[in-house]
Amino acid sequence: MIWMSWRQFRTQAVVGAVALTALAIYLVILGMQIRHSYDAAPALCQSLGDGCTAPMNEFTQRYSTRLYLLDGLLIAVPGIVGTFWGAPLVTRELEAGTHRLAWNQSLTRRRWLAVKLLVVGVAGMAATGLFSLLLTWAASPYDQVAADRFTTLLFGTRNLAPVGYAAFAVVLGAILGLTIRRTVPAMALTVVVFAVAQIVMPMLVRPHLRPPVSVTQPMTAETVRNLSSMKADATVRGVQIPNAWVVSHGELLDSNGGPVEPTRYHECVLLGPDAVPECLASLDLHVVGSYHPADRYWSFQWLESAIFLALGGLLTGFGLWRIQGRFR
Amino acid sequence: MPHTDSTPVLRADGLTKRYGRRPALTDCHLDIPRGRVIGLVGPNGAGKSTLLQLACGLITPTSGTLEVLGSRPATNATQLARVAFVAQDTPVYAALTVADHLRMGARLNPSWDAGLATRRIGQIGLDPRQKAGRLSGGQRAQLALTLAVAKRPELLIFDEPAAALDPLARDGFLHNLMAFVAELGASALLSSHLLADVERVCDHLIVLAGSRVQVAGDVRDLLASHHRLVAPGGGPDRLPAGVEVDRLPAGIEVDRLPAGIEVIRVEQTDRGHSLVVRSDGPRPAGPWSVESLRLEELVLSYLSRAADVSAAGSRTMAGEAAR
Repeated sequence: MIWMSWRQFRTQAVVGAVALTALAIYLVILGMQIRHSYDAAPALCQSLGDGCTAPMNEFTQRYSTRLYLLDGLLIAVPGIVGTFWGAPLVTRELEAGTHRLAWNQSLTRRRWLAVKLLVVGVAGMAATGLFSLLLTWAASPYDQVAADRFTTLLFGTRNLAPVGYAAFAVVLGAILGLTIRRTVPAMALTVVVFAVAQIVMPMLVRPHLRPPVSVTQPMTAETVRNLSSMKADATVRGVQIPNAWVVSHGELLDSNGGPVEPTRYHECVLLGPDAVPECLASLDLHVVGSYHPADRYWSFQWLESAIFLALGGLLTGFGLWRIQGRFR
Repeated sequence: MPHTDSTPVLRADGLTKRYGRRPALTDCHLDIPRGRVIGLVGPNGAGKSTLLQLACGLITPTSGTLEVLGSRPATNATQLARVAFVAQDTPVYAALTVADHLRMGARLNPSWDAGLATRRIGQIGLDPRQKAGRLSGGQRAQLALTLAVAKRPELLIFDEPAAALDPLARDGFLHNLMAFVAELGASALLSSHLLADVERVCDHLIVLAGSRVQVAGDVRDLLASHHRLVAPGGGPDRLPAGVEVDRLPAGIEVDRLPAGIEVIRVEQTDRGHSLVVRSDGPRPAGPWSVESLRLEELVLSYLSRAADVSAAGSRTMAGEAAR
């Protein structure tokens, strides 16, 4: 059955391999370019003599669009694989009536489905994994500078996580096909369900994978500069800790632990963008928040991959039960 | 030879299949010995495909049991290897070549007979490199037949094997089918609405109508036990058992029929009135002439009786014939 699954999958595999090869060549070239720019940066810093902020900003700006687009592509690849490889896996047989040929060979339907899922699932995981590996390698100098690998887009497009998504997406497509029994609706629903999973996971599930660590973050001028917003009621957004993932934080507190006096806060805010950081820093404020430390990155990667693999396993179990049902 | 085994090829007990509330097969009882070529006949929608799909395990019964070669259909790889099924539209993989199909057969069936498959493909004149999607209907049917046969099953099941074929292709297909059955020593179960095909190849018959088995048995036994009783001329009508008074043929008084005779059908012919009866004993002697039936007449008698019953909508005589 492995041969048969491969034989039926061959054309799709060739198309996938061609696309992946082109992508791989581009990623290798891009990775080398990024390394070249990155290695040139220290010399530039020395010649300017005022720290490395400007050359590093220029470095990240030069590659951010390209990497952003590649991240977007990689986040979509498991969905594409699930839609075009997973969903037609069973429906194509049901629509052509060939399941009645396949299911009358000397192997049970369960085995037939299990081997098909295995062959296409492994292919999907390998393709996505290779893409992820190359992108992780190509972008690693950039990621080091940006220091935000816990953000939704970067976490889901580096290292292991995309492999888990691919396994889940292929099984999802195939089992939706097995249940709906028509190719096009199954493909459409695969896209929708996978997109929902990609939103629900980082928003609702990932922050709770492990209990976050509480932290008191002093509002230095540097921290204030990196905030994404400051509101009139003295709450702020976008407190950052390098490489760590800040899950939540509350309003600005003064050194006694009470809320900052609104008049002093507003005086500072009204000074204008350039003076705000120093002014607020002089108030000796802090926020209390919770975060996931940087060293949790790999345990989160493994946990997330395991969750999606387990979901794929559950769906496979459902499919193996479902396929024993009535098919004419 | 496989058919020396005494387990029946097909045994159904109260077999019932409903799709929603619509009955496709109702309370079906069958016990068919091995080594037969079994014809399944009946009008469209009688339940033929349902019975065949139950037998190869594509669908499962709503109630009752069905055993094929002594086991429930399609429960494991061994059972699947013993039964081959060719569906009505003879499905093949359009994108795969003829040779790919044979390779698939070889890889998915432990009992695959590669020599037989290659030889038959040669005899039919199929190019192994040709894509199956470009074969004619007849060639596709032959390929499907080859795939089914080369796994060397003990039972071959065909759903309307020749329905889509032109007369010449049908002739070739049926000829090959019979040659295979003989070569394998297998049993075969095939449905058809073409009585001529069934008459040509089958030695056992199941007549299915209105989701029920009307009659089943070896063709020779059926022909020996069914007769036409013809009474020419007029005479007083007498009360029949199970036949409407106004339709009782003149000259035949049903209450005087010997015990063990079942009236299947009352007909008016241009020669007078006649009864089609079933008598498992000797030819019923009486004041009538006894004629033999052709298989087609026999089948049609049961089918029209079933049609009358379903039209009348009340009586369920049909079940009585299904032993």
